[in-house]
Amino acid sequence: MNLLPSLSNPLAWTLLALVPAGIIVLYFLKLKREPVEVPSTYLWSKTIEDLHVNSLLQRLRRSLLLLLQLLAVFIAVIALLRPGFRGQTAGQERTVFLIDNSASMQTVDRNETASRFENAKRLILARIEAMSDTDSAMVIAFNDRAETVQSFTTDRGRLRDSLKRVAITNHSTDILGALKAAAGLANPRRSSEIADVKDIQVADAKPADLLVYSDGGFQTVTEFSLGNLKADYVAMGSSEVNNLAITAFSTERNTERQSEVQAFATIENFGQSTISTTATLTMNGLFLDAEAIEIEPGEQTGLSFIIETEEAASLTLTLDHEDDLEIDNVAYTGLSPLRNVSILVITPGNTPLKVGLETEKTAKICTNSFFPPSYMQTDDYKKRAQDGIDDLIIYDACSPAEMPATNTFFIGSLPPATATEDSTKARFSGNQGAAEGTNAADSGSTATPDVQGATDPNATNSNATPADNPLAKEQNWRWSSPESSVMLIDIERTHPLMRYLELFSLLIFSGRGVEGPPGTVELVGADVGSILAIAPRDGFQDMVLGFEIVSRNSDGDAETNTNWYAERSWPVFLLNVLRHLAGAADATGAPSYRPGETVRVRLESKISNPSVKRIGGSPINITPGPAGSLEIIDTEIPGNYRVESDTKLADLFAINLFDPQESAIAAVKQIDIGYESLTSEDGSIEQRQELWRWALLAMLGLIAAEWCVYSRRVA
Amino acid sequence: MSNRQETPLLSPSLLGRLERMELVSRKVFRGRMKGERKSKRKGQSVEFHDFRNYVPGDDLRLIDWNLYARLDQLFLKLFQEEEDLHFYALIDASESMNFGTPTKLHVAKQLAAALGYVGLCRADRVSVQALGPMGRQAPVLRGRASLWKMLNYLDLVESGHNVSLFDGVKDFSLRNSGTGVAVLISDLMDKQGYESALRMLIGRRMDVFVMHVLSPEEIDPPIRGDRRLIDVEDGDSAEITLNNYALQKYQETVSSFIGSTKTFCAKRSIAYVPVRTETPVETIVTKYLRERGVVR
Repeated sequence: MNLLPSLSNPLAWTLLALVPAGIIVLYFLKLKREPVEVPSTYLWSKTIEDLHVNSLLQRLRRSLLLLLQLLAVFIAVIALLRPGFRGQTAGQERTVFLIDNSASMQTVDRNETASRFENAKRLILARIEAMSDTDSAMVIAFNDRAETVQSFTTDRGRLRDSLKRVAITNHSTDILGALKAAAGLANPRRSSEIADVKDIQVADAKPADLLVYSDGGFQTVTEFSLGNLKADYVAMGSSEVNNLAITAFSTERNTERQSEVQAFATIENFGQSTISTTATLTMNGLFLDAEAIEIEPGEQTGLSFIIETEEAASLTLTLDHEDDLEIDNVAYTGLSPLRNVSILVITPGNTPLKVGLETEKTAKICTNSFFPPSYMQTDDYKKRAQDGIDDLIIYDACSPAEMPATNTFFIGSLPPATATEDSTKARFSGNQGAAEGTNAADSGSTATPDVQGATDPNATNSNATPADNPLAKEQNWRWSSPESSVMLIDIERTHPLMRYLELFSLLIFSGRGVEGPPGTVELVGADVGSILAIAPRDGFQDMVLGFEIVSRNSDGDAETNTNWYAERSWPVFLLNVLRHLAGAADATGAPSYRPGETVRVRLESKISNPSVKRIGGSPINITPGPAGSLEIIDTEIPGNYRVESDTKLADLFAINLFDPQESAIAAVKQIDIGYESLTSEDGSIEQRQELWRWALLAMLGLIAAEWCVYSRRVA
Repeated sequence: MSNRQETPLLSPSLLGRLERMELVSRKVFRGRMKGERKSKRKGQSVEFHDFRNYVPGDDLRLIDWNLYARLDQLFLKLFQEEEDLHFYALIDASESMNFGTPTKLHVAKQLAAALGYVGLCRADRVSVQALGPMGRQAPVLRGRASLWKMLNYLDLVESGHNVSLFDGVKDFSLRNSGTGVAVLISDLMDKQGYESALRMLIGRRMDVFVMHVLSPEEIDPPIRGDRRLIDVEDGDSAEITLNNYALQKYQETVSSFIGSTKTFCAKRSIAYVPVRTETPVETIVTKYLRERGVVR
């Protein structure tokens, strides 16, 4: 209740100054004088002439009534300036208000109607109102970062406005930054070592009261000394809380069954009573599953859901339980979409491969580029290979001089030798042979040199050091058998590349077994050895098929080497290659970030005008940076976020609190800052009752009435 | 303000005491009729004055035969003549005199009646008159029996004729050419000043007495606060805030006025008699006037 205007307003000062001046003016301009008959004004006139010389001062000096009135008004003015003292034991005249606006401050405790944050603002506002005119204060809001909302000022209006600007966030809590900001003036940095007697402080220390309004949900601060700060901790909220929180929620595709998605959640009870409720899982807003849970206080439980989907999806897990903090009752996660991959095919001509890569389903997730082996001599290829622009390069019956910085699939050929420095020269010479072979293949001749070399390395590489080096030999791909007809024996069905494949009906006219470097996994075994194998290479994967799909006869005409292209498993195999070797399918779920965290998403450079949209929110267009990276900073609100380009989903990520420290909302009664322990105090202050203002108003009214009555009596 | 005469002008006891008094004239005037006062004339009183040589035609009854026997020369023996005294009591009947309790005018009339009666008892030529138009009706009285005429005239005198002192005295002087004792009974509060009036009386070779009548309300006004003072004579007004300081200044002004009047009168051999209206007339006449030599 503030019916009287604030004296910070200059207009109020002016009005107050006019009151005594007005009384004096009215006093002299008073028109009603009692007429009195005198025998003669002869002597009076002489007296008045004398009085006129110093009449103003004499009237003021001799008029007790006027003096009393002026005194009363003076007292009233003084009283309106709020003289007095605070009812509390105030320390310094400088106060720093630290207000916690992290997620846990959204808690609405039992028997409370407002959140902890609102209560903290109310308490700070009361402190500001109780400040005297010479007191100064600053306001710092802190969550996982600190923000000085208002620097030191004696203007209570500015402090009030700054406090209004502080808003609650969904962030976690870290008080250290706020403490450093508060200590800026109280503990000025020394210019040199403390032990240095010649040291001169750069500024005088200005001690201040530090008032921390928080629920204590932050880590103990050890590397901080309060110094000249006299800290008080005002614990917001109670220790009797009721909160069930989801502290983790993620999805993962089954590596064996890509359509099977497993969702894992961790739910923890931070309250003091056992809670029984249900957790509901929805996908893209549709109910999917629910599970009943019962958690003891302080305990946690895990939930897992199994979902069948191959597409991208947004999952939401909701606890059907009303507690003190709502933000941790909902968790979000997403299933990443299949990526659109870029495939470079180097082939002298392979119709089954081309047809298999251009089916309706593969066309959705890949972009193909077909080039003859001569393309490998161009700068364009070298740049593509060096930069790793393509997700997969398929070398069909040919081999590059140097392995590209991406995944590869060799069909009927071997990757070039890569091992030690000494083997580099030999590899180049071998590459020449390979190049010649490719040239021969390009010109219609059969690619025999590699095969021969593989059959007899010593013969083909007479001057090649790698062949002489057993270590280098083991680290390179090589043929393990001479060319012959092939009969398949075993298939590694658990491998994603081999899923859904039935290969035993294949006919392979000519093929050789392959051996790879350490770590090579045999995918298909045949009587000649591993006919299909995959091996890692510096973060990439190389897969080698031991037979050609289309071979060339001595005339250079194409001949089919296998009937695989006529089998149903051929396009399925190619699809698996695209998904798992080219990386179109991501086995893990969409990543989750904290609220306010900057999210970096790497997009394909082909995507233009991407927009980010929280499900339920409005899209925001973002210009991608170099190499197609996006930096998304508007991530304050938890939820599933979609990165789209022309309504096509490009990426997914989720924003979740997932902070047990924030979910543990029981107010901490004691916090430790440096070597000091601060025990919670009552944040309320002995606020003065402003009844004296009404008393003053009554006094002013009394004076006015007295003046009026006196004037009438005289009249 | 006006207080009609609660008390008679002259009480019987005062009359008895007045009969034993006589007016004192500091000057010897030539009278008009035979009286009891020394005159500048040589006459037939019993008081010897001088001798002179006989010249033919002188009254033989005045020859001092004893001297003729001794010196064989004729000398006339001269005696002091005794004549009457002209006594004028001039009453200021302006509106300002109608003030106080009793009013200054009433006190003035009492004083005039008392002094007039003293003159009547001593066979003086007494004329009690108000300044202004009423003065023309004033009778000239002689003898104790004329007391009632005098009192009747005084009863008729009322305030309201706002004639300045100078004009009133001038009118009186034009009507009375003789000399004598003139008693001016006034509050002297004339915005044109009283000095010219007194000078005129002195110029007429009068033995002038000034009885300065002031009421206690004039010396110490009982009014306070913010007032508008209205002059009862000319309606002039003056606004003043009456506080202790202003009153002190006023009283200083009154004292200064009285002091300057005294000085003025002393310089001109005018007997100045301050009169406070609260003082009984008996006291004034029998004590103050006797002390100041107005009567004896």
